[in-house]
Parts: sequence; structure tokens; C-alpha cells
Amino acid sequence: MTGSDIIFYILAGLTLGCGVLSVTTRQIFRAAIFLLFSLIGIAGIYFWLDYQFIAAVQIVVYAGGIVVLIIFSIFLTQQAGEKLPKQRLDRKIFSALAVFSAFALAMVQVYQHSFTAPAGEQPVPTVKDIGLKMLNTENGGYALPFEIISMLLLAALVGCIVIALREKL
Amino acid sequence: MFIGKYIKDIWAGIRSLLVGMKRTLYYFTHHKEIITQQYPDNRDTLELPERFKGEVVMPHNENNEHRCTGCQACELACPNGTIKVIFKNELNAEGKKKKAIDKLVYHLELCTMCNLCIEACPSDAIKMAQTFEHSVFDRNQLTKVLNKPGSKIMDGVE
Amino acid sequence: MWSFAHIANELHNWLSNQFNPTWTLIIEMVIAGVAVIGLFAMLGLILVIMERKVSAWMQIRLGPNRVGPKGMLQSLADTLKLLVKEGLTPDGADKLLFNVAPFIAMIVAMLLLAPIAFASNFQLWDLNIGVLYVSAVSSLMVISILMAGWSSNNKYSLMGAMRSGAQIVSYELSAGLSVLAVVVMSGSLQVSDIIESQRNGWWIFKGHIPLIIAFITFIIAVTAETNRAPFDLAEAESELTAGFHTEYSGMKFALFFLAEYVNVFIVCSIGATLFLGGWMPFHIGNWTGFNHAMDYIPSSIWFFGKTFFLIFVIMWFRWTFPRLRIDQLLNLEWKYLLPISMINLLVVTAMAILGWHF
Repeated sequence: MTGSDIIFYILAGLTLGCGVLSVTTRQIFRAAIFLLFSLIGIAGIYFWLDYQFIAAVQIVVYAGGIVVLIIFSIFLTQQAGEKLPKQRLDRKIFSALAVFSAFALAMVQVYQHSFTAPAGEQPVPTVKDIGLKMLNTENGGYALPFEIISMLLLAALVGCIVIALREKL
Repeated sequence: MFIGKYIKDIWAGIRSLLVGMKRTLYYFTHHKEIITQQYPDNRDTLELPERFKGEVVMPHNENNEHRCTGCQACELACPNGTIKVIFKNELNAEGKKKKAIDKLVYHLELCTMCNLCIEACPSDAIKMAQTFEHSVFDRNQLTKVLNKPGSKIMDGVE
Repeated sequence: MWSFAHIANELHNWLSNQFNPTWTLIIEMVIAGVAVIGLFAMLGLILVIMERKVSAWMQIRLGPNRVGPKGMLQSLADTLKLLVKEGLTPDGADKLLFNVAPFIAMIVAMLLLAPIAFASNFQLWDLNIGVLYVSAVSSLMVISILMAGWSSNNKYSLMGAMRSGAQIVSYELSAGLSVLAVVVMSGSLQVSDIIESQRNGWWIFKGHIPLIIAFITFIIAVTAETNRAPFDLAEAESELTAGFHTEYSGMKFALFFLAEYVNVFIVCSIGATLFLGGWMPFHIGNWTGFNHAMDYIPSSIWFFGKTFFLIFVIMWFRWTFPRLRIDQLLNLEWKYLLPISMINLLVVTAMAILGWHF
């Protein structure tokens, strides 16, 4: 086992452990924080793979954006320090079953797929490559999906403005 | 026009911020403006502002005479009962009985230095002194008699 | 010549001769960690005394002048006091998060130091997305504040945390856009490339007015992002006692305090790197004599000089302007800074494409 492997297992353990804690804790704010650590662990794995751009985007979008949004909605709706009520046993069993079947499905897929190592040294994609690919209109370019996503964001923006402009009920 | 007003707003904002920053930079670079007094060290050369109020005193002239008529205006003006005027009867030159102050008792521990007694005094008999080192070990020492023993009212003060 | 890069290389060579590569790497990591912690301690001591002296002189006061020569050891005495004080955890607090929050703040500050170039060829990690990395990791700063505010179980803390969250999330936008202006000009996110692109002049001079506007918006936005006055609503003393760190005491409070100053240092060093040329000396056109004289000043002094100048500017803001109200704060961002920096970014992009810079 090399140092690189050890770092991978630490990161994977952090991601999985915090993920499990995030669904089992009974304090909703702690759940959000554990989710954050889990997402940061994924960002760490991207850094470990040398995909720095994806790692940074993971932190910006998930940790800096979505988790902060979740925390804000907790702040505005929940009472600090209160525990959620205990769940009924049948619910626990069924959700555990659902999680287990999804996990089994994923593991079956992973074991059936034959992973082939890429031939030779792979170039690390730079920001420039990603940018050029993103706005490429030729075959293999991502200009159309990029624009469709920006339309989606525009729709969300317009929706926000409509909600904000509506008179108070 | 909207855009014109917008730009004018920004310009006015930046200008007023720069005015403030210029002032603080002036103070930052001109250390002679510093007004802090390093009190226990410069006790001998300490300069207090003119209107600093330390305690109420009653000035006496060289003949041990004061200007207090005992009108009680200060006692009435005081918001927390700091001043108490105690009278005595004394005979004046024509042999008539006349009311005069025996003691003007001043409780320094109650005083808030509000200056109302000084303003109320019709004959300018009391004023604020600049002394401020009042701490003592016994509270009784803070109850002071303002007129000196044996003093009497100045001639011509009614 | 004695420079940081030279010392680092000598150390690396010596270690490589003594140990095998794995151990060399581990020892170097330990040395880097110790150096970072030492830098933090030094920054804490220096910036606190600097802030107190600057504030005093700006308010026509003397400032600390009793401990050590001219009061220069005051912050050391304060640190000692904080070290021996009791660290209290309130009864109703979420103990785990309450105790973890200050360390998150410190870890984020430490991570942010990685891509900063302290001198020529002296950098912990020259990753090719340096600037994006900084803006990504600095967005985690808000998490520690939110954690501290929530877990204290105190309404002042919660309100401070919410204010600070709204503030940091919204000012991140204009800080990011003004950073993008420089990225567009230099065509790279890598810190060493950005510094190299300023060899013939700093961006604030080369970029004409648009980059000066970007610089001003950057300074305003980072002042807000580090929660310093006039944007210190998160810890407004007169309204919220101390905001998100109301319940903290002793060393945990000191960690928040230190993280604030380290963050100020980091954003100022990023500003110095992007707009003022990092460790590049000041050169004027064709004045060869003057330029050679400037080259004699070591690069680390240039870097720290520029950074401390920016820190001074931010302190100058703090002790000049009164605190903004929350609506004024959000108006400033969404109605003024954001539109201006967006239009500015368009202008900068046009300039970069048409080559209208030196």
C-alpha cells in the first residue's frame, strides 16, 4: 500500500462516514454539516485524481452554494438545538431496504463493468481545454447543452423576479 | 435621467468617502494632534479643559469672606440632595438679627457634577473646581463643609 | 544570493541526500506546516498591534504604549492572556459543532495560503487553477461562521451568522467578477502565470481605467467578505454584542480572531498578486537605472510591502467609515457593485480581445 492509496482510503472513509452520519443524525443542522464534509471529501478525491478544476467547482457549487442554501433554510425554519422525533421502525426498515437495493444495483454495475486502463500518459485537462470544449459547436462540442442549461437558469431567474414582484398576499 | 443620476450618486459617494479618508490620513500622519493625556505620568503638567467639572467649591477672598447669602437656590436646584444649607442667626452692624449660613454641607459622594447649582446661584458664591483626585478611605471625608470656619459674607452681597 | 527560493532549494537538496523520496516529502510537508503555523502566529501578533496602532493614530489617540518598547509587545501579552483563560462551552450549545467551528475557520485559512507566491519561485502549491481555488475555498469561510452561530444556541449568534452568511454569499459575486477581469487580461488562472504576465507592468497600470475599477470593487468586496467594518454587521458590537462569536471564550475565541486577521492577510495578498504584480518589482518604462535599483530589493519584501499596504488601506476603511445598515449593505452590492463589475468585465474582455493594453 502506497501513500497515495492511504490518502484515497482516508478520503473515501471521510466521504462515506460523513454520508452515513448525515442520514442517521437526529439534528438537522448536523446533518447539513455532515453532508458538507461528505461533499468536501468528494472534492478531495478530485484533487487526488489531479482534476483540480472539477474539484474547485465541486467546492464552489456544492459546499459554497448548495450547503449554504440548505443551512439558510434550516436557520429560517428550525429551532436551534432541537432534535427531530424518532422514526418508526417500519419506516427505518423500508428506507434501509431501499438504500441497500440501490447500493446493490450500483455494486453489480461496478463489478460487471470491465475497467480498462487508458493507454499511455493521459493529458490533464486544463481550464482552457474545458472552456474550448464547452463553447465548441462542432462534433463533440458542448455548446448546445451549455446553452440549454443557461436557458434553465434564465427561467429560474425570471421565476424569482416574478415571485419577488408579486404583491403581498 | 436614470443613468445620469446613478453615476452622479456613485461619484458623490466616492467623493464623500475620500473626504473622510483624507481627514483620518491627516490624523494618522500628524501625531502632534494626539489628545491623549498619560495621566499619572504627567500629573505635574496636566492640563484640563476649561469647563472640566471636578467638585463644587466656594471661593473665599483674603479676608475669609464668601459671597453666599444662604438663599437655598442651590439646595433646591440640586436633583439628588447633594447640598444642605444650615443657618445660624448673627447680629449685623446695627445690632439686628440676620440670617446667615452656618454650614454649607456638600456631599461629594452624591454629586453628579451636573452644574445646576452653579447656574442657580444668584450671587456666584459657588463654582466648579478642577480637582478630581477624590478617592479616600473613609466615606465621611467626602461630606464637606464648603464655607471655611469663621468666614462671613462679603460686604455688599445681598 | 539569499532568497526564499534559494533556501528552499538548498533544504530540498540536503534532505534528498539524507533520506529517500517518501521521507523527504513527509519532512518537507512537516516543515511547510510548521512554517505556515509560524506565519499565522507572526501575522496574528503583527496585525493586531498594527490594527491597534493604526486605529489609535487615526482617532488621535496614543494606542497601546505600556508593554514593551512603544507597546509593541501588547499583542503578545493579549495572546498569553487568552491562552490561560478558560474555554467555556454553554450548556444549551451543540457541543460538537461548537468546538469544531473555530478549527474549521483556521483550516480554511491555512488551505487558502497554498497558492500564494510569497517570493519569486517560492510557493507551496502552484496549481493551475490557483485563483479559482482561492475563491472556492474562501467560500467555505462562511460555513464556520454559520456553524458557530447556530451551535451557540444564542439569538445574537444566530442573527450575526445569518447576516454574515447573506453578506459573504452576495459579496463573493463582485469579488469573483473583479478577479475575473485580471484573469481575462492575463489569460490564465495559475498564480505564477498571472505574476509573470505583469513583468512589464502591473495590471493596475497596464489595464487603464477598467482594471482600476476592478481593483476598487475587489477591495470593497473583500472588506465585506472578511466581515470588517464598515461591513461588520456580523459582529456589530452595539447591536449583537459580538455576533457569531458571542459565546466563545479563551483560545477558541482567539482562533476566530486570528482567522479574521489571517483572512485579511490572504485577501490582501491575492489583491497584491492580481493587481499589483505580486513579488514583481516596480518598473517604469525605459528607465533602466531606476529599474535595476528596484531589482535589488528582494522579491519577498516587494510582496509583503504590497500586501501590508493593502492591509493598511483596509484598516484605513475600518477606522474611517461608520457601519452600514443591512439594507444599505445589500443595496451597495446588488445595485451598485454587481452591475458595475459586470459591465466592467465586458469592457475588459473587449480590451483583451482587441489588445488595448500595453
